[in-house]
Amino acid sequence: MAIVTIENVHKNYFLNKTAVPALQAINLVVHKGEFLAIAGPSGSGKTTLLNLIGCMDTPTSGKVFIDEVQTDQLSSDQLADIRREKISFIFQNFNLLPVLSAVENVEYPLLWKRLSAKEKRKKAEQALDSVGLLRFAKHKPLELSGGQQQRTAIARAIVTDPLVILADEPTANLDHTMGEEIVNLMKKNNQEKNMTFIFSTHDQKIMDKASRIVRIWDGKLI
Amino acid sequence: MMTIKIAVRNIFRHKARTFITLSAIVFGCVALIFAAGFLEDVFYIMRESYIKAHTGHIQLYRRGFSEKGRLQPYQYLIDKPGAIIARIKSIEGVDFVTSRLEFSGLLSNGENTISFIGQGIEPQYEKTLLKSETTDFRQLAKNNSEGSPIMKAGSPLAPTDKYAIVLGQGLAASIDAKSGDSLTLLTNTVHGSTNALDVTVKGIFETSAKVFDDHFLRLPLTTAQKLLSTESVQSLVIRLKKTEDTARVKEQLVSIIQQDKLDLELKTWDEISDFYTKTVILFDKFFFVMKLTIIIVVISGIFNTMNMAVMERISEIGTIMALGVKKRGVISLFLWEGALLGTIGGIIGVIAGVVFTSIISYIGIVMPPPPGATVYWLNQPMIVPLSLVYTFLMALIISIISSLYPAYKASRLQITEALRYR
Repeated sequence: MAIVTIENVHKNYFLNKTAVPALQAINLVVHKGEFLAIAGPSGSGKTTLLNLIGCMDTPTSGKVFIDEVQTDQLSSDQLADIRREKISFIFQNFNLLPVLSAVENVEYPLLWKRLSAKEKRKKAEQALDSVGLLRFAKHKPLELSGGQQQRTAIARAIVTDPLVILADEPTANLDHTMGEEIVNLMKKNNQEKNMTFIFSTHDQKIMDKASRIVRIWDGKLI
Repeated sequence: MMTIKIAVRNIFRHKARTFITLSAIVFGCVALIFAAGFLEDVFYIMRESYIKAHTGHIQLYRRGFSEKGRLQPYQYLIDKPGAIIARIKSIEGVDFVTSRLEFSGLLSNGENTISFIGQGIEPQYEKTLLKSETTDFRQLAKNNSEGSPIMKAGSPLAPTDKYAIVLGQGLAASIDAKSGDSLTLLTNTVHGSTNALDVTVKGIFETSAKVFDDHFLRLPLTTAQKLLSTESVQSLVIRLKKTEDTARVKEQLVSIIQQDKLDLELKTWDEISDFYTKTVILFDKFFFVMKLTIIIVVISGIFNTMNMAVMERISEIGTIMALGVKKRGVISLFLWEGALLGTIGGIIGVIAGVVFTSIISYIGIVMPPPPGATVYWLNQPMIVPLSLVYTFLMALIISIISSLYPAYKASRLQITEALRYR
């Protein structure tokens, strides 16, 4: 089943009124349960493509479908609804909220779920446990190592059981061992829970773990 | 709930900055509460001293007196006031009713003669405070704040006095009179003939009104009646237990006058002392400008804090928007932070304002004589309950208002750019 479909998408950025193409004629279909790597050097358009799939940006032309809903014409509120319900993110810089503890960060996306406070906390603790950080539940992000922060971010991504998890260079700010650990953790969730992951990377070791690799170069898929 | 939790924690994230912002709010609140209390005491002292020394709360005259009484004072006298006085005394809240008879004439010491206005009073009611033995300036100022006339020299009139007068200090100075001196009063009787009376100066008084002290002397009512050859009085001065009751007692009096078809008219203290009413309006304007200044200072403080909060949290705003928070969610987060700052600052500010005002009130501020007055007095700022409510609401509302623009700015961020921001 196709959960992400991209049809002939172009994305231009404007720099002093001159259009700079970031993506050109992109076609891509992602199926349920894939562990897809988007590979390419920096500046090739990986992040732009992930932003379009993640409903954080809209294309200049072309169509984007998430779970068979066309998203390229939706309002910012409608896009926010789709992000809440179907998409999770793992960021290069972890992006945990510094004022919240680890477990509260994981609980954050459950804000809009119809669950009691107790159930939310229980789900968040389970997710934190699955990344091996339950004993750090009460710690603030700044009290955690980079690897622990990214594991917390993974727990936050999986806690809502989303349709797709997008990870933009999730290992770029970690050393090799830690990076591998993170990808293994993502892979484990992909295999055990059939969760769909799309992640960008330029690290060959990490690409090797992918079930499929698409390569991007100067805004074009090759 | 999550939004409030995050807002609370964000506020205490930069303790020093929050402390500075809260200080601005707290100082603003303290200043407002103190100024309101200070002003209230100025008004209170002015009002009460006027009432005690001069006007009473309500004055009753023969109908037509306030219009034509100045030209033909003796045409508008009240005859046999006993019955109406008894009637007024039975009204709830009335402390006492006393009669006055005013006249003008010449005052002579054998060498010089000057004009005066005489006020025949009943000494048992219209009390004059004895000059305090203390030389403590603060204590003197405090006595002055009581509002009653104070003896500068000699002693006050007693109910048993017959041919005694007390002089305003300005009047005494212009005829060079000391207590114990003999003087002669010369005036016309109500029938038009001339009459004179030898009197002894029993004392010299001062009130809060310089004009009064420069022209007035006081003597027992019965002596004044004898001098004017009448048994009538000119006005009935009503003193209430509480100034707040003035309007209610006035209404009751008006209906008594109408029911009994009495040939009387009345004026309340604020109608008589135009000066007070105008001063209140003037001071209220000053206070308004001061409030505005304080509000601007507090607004700029909070605006600055919230603006910095938005600037340094751009990436976090991007994160929560990526997780699904909508524009209005971002706005409400920052408005909550503003509202919480306002609430905390407002509560601390009101408490600090009450404590500060109480301390200053306990010590007291010695005040120079107000325009047209001669006596120093002691200001003891009051806690005005309504000002506490207003001050708290002001802290809350302006905190929210000054967060509006930063909140709006945050909500306008593009997620992708916000996430890239370092």
